[in-house]
Amino acid sequence: VILRRSLLPAAIALFVGLGISAPPAGAAADPAALVSDLGNRALEVLGRNVTPSEREARFRELFDQDFDVPVIARFVLGRYWRVATAAQQQEFLRLFTEYTALAYSNRLAEYSGETLRVTGSRSEPDGPIVSSEIIRTNGSPPARVDWRLSATDGTYKITDVIVDGISMAVTQRSEFASVIQRHGGQVEGLLTLLRQKTGRADARP
Amino acid sequence: MQDRSLKPSPLRRALLDLFVAAALVTAGCAAQSQAPQQAATGEEDFHDPFENTNRTIFDFNQKVDSAVLVPVAKTYRNVLPDPVRGSIRDFLNNLNAPLIFANDALQGRFGLAKDTVARFVIDSTIGMGGLVDVAGRWGIPYHEQDLGITLGVWGIPEGPYLVIPVLGPSDPRDLGAQVAEGFGDPWNRLAANHGLLWVVFVRGAVSGIDQRARYIETLADIERTSLDYYATIRSLYRQRRAALIHRTHEQLPPNPSFSGNGGIPNAARANPNSPPVFVTDAPNGFEVSR
Repeated sequence: VILRRSLLPAAIALFVGLGISAPPAGAAADPAALVSDLGNRALEVLGRNVTPSEREARFRELFDQDFDVPVIARFVLGRYWRVATAAQQQEFLRLFTEYTALAYSNRLAEYSGETLRVTGSRSEPDGPIVSSEIIRTNGSPPARVDWRLSATDGTYKITDVIVDGISMAVTQRSEFASVIQRHGGQVEGLLTLLRQKTGRADARP
Repeated sequence: MQDRSLKPSPLRRALLDLFVAAALVTAGCAAQSQAPQQAATGEEDFHDPFENTNRTIFDFNQKVDSAVLVPVAKTYRNVLPDPVRGSIRDFLNNLNAPLIFANDALQGRFGLAKDTVARFVIDSTIGMGGLVDVAGRWGIPYHEQDLGITLGVWGIPEGPYLVIPVLGPSDPRDLGAQVAEGFGDPWNRLAANHGLLWVVFVRGAVSGIDQRARYIETLADIERTSLDYYATIRSLYRQRRAALIHRTHEQLPPNPSFSGNGGIPNAARANPNSPPVFVTDAPNGFEVSR
């Protein structure tokens, strides 16, 4: 444990120094390796001893790099993607990444210092699914994390993360749809709230 | 991300139990069958016909939560050290064994039923009446189980989403199951038969407080970052319940997201205009419509 503690800051410094965005060799070819690498990097760099804004920034970087953000954004907006104007779609794409970083980066901090282990992977018609678990150090049973991936141009990207049966994409989709419906079906209502939450009132083109 | 232990389990025992325990669910700790669907109208169907009433009750529950439950849970966490709270949790979990066993069996999950018996025997003896989860350390972990899950496995639909005062998120299936289990629990019956109804109260109260205490930060963070906390909790509750029903089928929860239309990896990108096919409200909530 002591060794680990002393290594952690060094590791963080290394990642920050090198830029988290350097894609690991071979990750593109192997979904399991991608997940294992990303998962453990995330657990490492999103630790408790990081300021929330720094954590958000790091999350955003990982999210942009290894997640298929356009596909996810389109999914979570559901039918309203088609209703939205091109400008609204563009703004949503920007706000979506900001908002996801805001909403999820802190929740991951709970797992900081723990280890993610890939337990299996399989192919589904929609793409590979990699199963993993996070071994908890607080005595709780391991958290099960399933990752959905899709392949584009031979590169795998993550399209959803399912923690103990709870899907990030499904949750966001449900919440966004509720917000829009409560704003009379106007996508603008969602965008306004997203701007407020992320403090990006200037995100408009 | 949600902690795995977002569980409705404490809701099970007695009616009284329900009142305290649901506080935690109030805050939204469980989930249930059903992913977003598209109704014929194209609107997202939340299966929530009483939404206005539900939201009113939800707001009320929020007030109770922040005025009473969170302060009590914080005190509980501050006063009792970790190992003590762990022992309390293990003890309460051990008391659940009879109902867990019954539900394991009713679902035809005899492997799990065997585990439950083994856990109960080991923890009740070597584990000093359940205060130490020896079986868990030996590799037989506790698993969540309740009658609502059993009914789901049997294909009984969940019905409309309900927010119960103080209790929080539910639906007719889970609510009915919880009430039934409250009356059916052997320890509750034993206590009631000996005029010790207060034992039932205390058990429910402690269980609810313990659960709430474990999610103080998580739920606060979800509330802080949510655009629509009510909608988020509704979704989490249903997904979590679905996962619990589902786990008994040993499959991954169907993700409507990218599983549409026969599922080419990038269906969404290839044709953004084709709506994804969602999970149908199949009897057990798990058939994917493809």
